[in-house]
Amino acid sequence: MKKFSLSRREALKRMGAVGVGAFLAAGGLPVYGNRSHGGQRVAVIGGGFGGATAAKYLKRLSPGLDVVLVEPQKRYYTCPFTNLYLGGMREFETLGHDYRELSRLGVRIVSQTAVDVDAEGRRLRLADGDSLSWDRLILSPGIDFRWGELEGYGREAADKAPHAWKPGPQSRLLRRQLLEMPDGGTFVLVAPDNPFRCPPGPYERVSMVAHYFKTHKPRSKVLLLDAKDNFSKQGLFLEGWKENYGDMIEWVGRSNDGRVVRVNADKLEVETEFGEIHRANVLNVVPPQKAGFIADRAGVTDESGWVPVQPRTFESKQVPGIYVIGDATQAAPMPKSGFVANTQAKVTARAILADLAGEEPPEPTWTNTCYSVIAPDWGITVAGVYEVHDGELREVPGSGGVSPMGAAADFRKREAAYAEAWYAAIAQDTWGSR
Amino acid sequence: MRLTTVAIAVAALAGALALTLRHAGADPSGEDIVPVSNDRASAIAMTCANCHGTDGRLESTGIPSIAGKPEIVLRSQLLAFQRDEYPGATVMPRLVKGYTEEELAAVARYFAALKPTPEEPSQQP
Amino acid sequence: MRKPRFSRFHFNLSIVVASAAWLFAAAAPAVAQRAPWERMEAAAKLLDVAAPKTDAIRLDLPAVTQDGSAVPLTVTIDHPMTADHYIESLHLFASGNPSPEVAEFSFSPLAGEARLSTRIRLDGTQNVIALARTNRGEWLAGAREVRVTVSGCLTQAGAFDGDDFMRTRVRAPNRLRRGEAAEIRTLINHPMETGLRKDADGQAVPERILTEFRARVAGQPVIHAKFHRAVAANPYLLFHVAPGQAGTLDLEWTEDTGKTATATAEIPAA
Ligand SMILES: Cc1cc2nc3c(=O)[nH]c(=O)nc-3n(C[C@H](O)[C@H](O)[C@H](O)COP(=O)(O)OP(=O)(O)OC[C@H]3O[C@@H](n4cnc5c(N)ncnc54)[C@H](O)[C@@H]3O)c2cc1C
Repeated sequence: MKKFSLSRREALKRMGAVGVGAFLAAGGLPVYGNRSHGGQRVAVIGGGFGGATAAKYLKRLSPGLDVVLVEPQKRYYTCPFTNLYLGGMREFETLGHDYRELSRLGVRIVSQTAVDVDAEGRRLRLADGDSLSWDRLILSPGIDFRWGELEGYGREAADKAPHAWKPGPQSRLLRRQLLEMPDGGTFVLVAPDNPFRCPPGPYERVSMVAHYFKTHKPRSKVLLLDAKDNFSKQGLFLEGWKENYGDMIEWVGRSNDGRVVRVNADKLEVETEFGEIHRANVLNVVPPQKAGFIADRAGVTDESGWVPVQPRTFESKQVPGIYVIGDATQAAPMPKSGFVANTQAKVTARAILADLAGEEPPEPTWTNTCYSVIAPDWGITVAGVYEVHDGELREVPGSGGVSPMGAAADFRKREAAYAEAWYAAIAQDTWGSR
Repeated sequence: MRLTTVAIAVAALAGALALTLRHAGADPSGEDIVPVSNDRASAIAMTCANCHGTDGRLESTGIPSIAGKPEIVLRSQLLAFQRDEYPGATVMPRLVKGYTEEELAAVARYFAALKPTPEEPSQQP
Repeated sequence: MRKPRFSRFHFNLSIVVASAAWLFAAAAPAVAQRAPWERMEAAAKLLDVAAPKTDAIRLDLPAVTQDGSAVPLTVTIDHPMTADHYIESLHLFASGNPSPEVAEFSFSPLAGEARLSTRIRLDGTQNVIALARTNRGEWLAGAREVRVTVSGCLTQAGAFDGDDFMRTRVRAPNRLRRGEAAEIRTLINHPMETGLRKDADGQAVPERILTEFRARVAGQPVIHAKFHRAVAANPYLLFHVAPGQAGTLDLEWTEDTGKTATATAEIPAA
């Protein structure tokens, strides 16, 4: 494998020397042949779904380009499938991916946090005080939480009532709490208003918790208190819950006083908008969110806390030369999903290469498929294809949509199997994991 | 089960044939066909990688590897998805409806031109 | 020192950007093209002055939303609410809906603050417009554009729990500081059928909405609302009662069928 990557890069370079624009190379990618981009540097902040994909595809599309990926973690754990881990369907370690394959491809990995960005000087500053210059910058920093916006839910509260909305110690803590919970207890999940990371995530999570309860603690209850009245794949979730878990899961929407306004993490209690108090044995709070802090430092966020971008390229609307992808962006109607971050990365990689070459960005196309696993044999999906129309992002009319209601067991079972297959595929496409 | 497979194969062949004929007929005039550049095809193909692996190559996950499959098969499958004529399909019909027939044909051509396994970077100019 | 100057630049830049956007929003429509309220017949008819004050109404709405069925809206009017000078009425419009009227509110000085929150329906990208009139006949106007994107990711539920039909909820503060207005939240379960929806058999579901809401404190009117079908299902309303108005708060909702629902809450003394 190692040898292949090298010889392939050689091959690509040689093709580049022919100098006739984009054409098909051994791997099938168009090589931006007449522009080696040699000596130019694109820095990418964040090695998650968006950033790792961007770094990989930049290098594949333009082997001569200097691509630097700034990411403090040596091993990245995915949010996708942490719910399956919570349900006991997956080992935590299987969710970890490293950067060795990207490094083999020629991406330079800098294992540090970027602490500041100087857009004018085209430099970024690292936690150790060093700085790094760039010609174009991609930010894919994911989300940060708005600590304290939900009264009583600050950083310390998360030690008792975990969010588990960024993977790692928080996921393990929540799993441990579930394991220690007595049968007959109540798991309460507090879901935020839009927009937030992974619209179907809270609903998949309660499904997986219910799966664990059904198989280990069958007298227990699941209560989902929601700040919304509508949620992703709602009909399919309600159907799946009923079929698989009877009335174990209770969902309370905003119009039935589901919006939580106060959290007491010590007592594991929450208070709703109209004053009802709910007590939990295990309390999982998904707090309100915003773009990762580095987006603020770079000056690309607006008053919403998210990043407005040019639809065609995902270049910041506020700071030229900085491109932002993934959860940090305002990209509605695209959801904040790993799948979308991956396809945004590819579009933006091409747009940057075109820009460096002084060309117009190519026509973009993005897709999404969010799998949710309701039970081991019960998967559902929502899909979408997106384009730019009249200068705005939109879903291509006639495309996309959710799995059918009332589908046969076999259909649900295949979508559950495809969910597992999808995970393996995107991990390979993003980090080169296998 | 076996019947379904046969049905798919027949539908696929019929679709492919129809398409071949149509294109053969339209080609001389140069009308009807909106040319889809290879660049565009590769842009669309990149969105496939998300489930079918980088360059459409996957090692045994349950989702088919598509690199190096015959163009006619890929194209007719994509078109069958688009026309809701692929029995038992799950997410593919919803995705391919985001693209034109010509784009799908170009994507089929694109993946067909790739090697199924990446061993040899064979084409060196 | 190789340490570059970070961030100050961005800080300045974003201020420039922000204020430029604000200037544009505030001034440009009046100069370059007619203001949104002038372009809408229903609003223009109401305005009996040429130039309403445009710097006192703030509309807080998400700039982009994927769920046009319930868009949170807060209207804040920077104006006194004293017995001799107060906001008497507030009219809300949505320029792109099948019928532009959203709701009208009349306030008494007992409302304490000319500020309320509710949730509205927006049928696509459009302007939300607010016109307010003082008891002295002055007009204030404000508008804000909202982009509504359609997404298959959000399926509209439409499911309505019959058991809870016209169930009311109200929340008043448990205690108040001196001089603090009481924030009142209300909610009533109602589908607010627009008459535009088709049922599973393709039959139009007839219009059935709540048309009125009244709040009184110690028998005195605080706020009186008229709802149109652009008020979101399960109407939510947050408003205020002026400082020093302890006593029983009586709420009443009226449906277009004449059916009513009531709720009460106690406002504590400061
Ligand atoms: C429970 C749950 C389930 C989910 N399930 C799915 C699913 O099934 N399918 C799906 O498609 N999506 C799913 N998602 C959503 C998915 O996790 C996100 O959409 C995705 O991670 C977004 O990618 P990103 O690149 O924007 O951010 P991330 O993947 O969060 O990556 C951000 C990276 O940037 C790094 N970083 C941040 N700041 C800095 C800095 N200043 N300097 C250097 N590095 C920095 C972080 O360490 C991190 O590694 C799920 C999310 C959750 C919470």
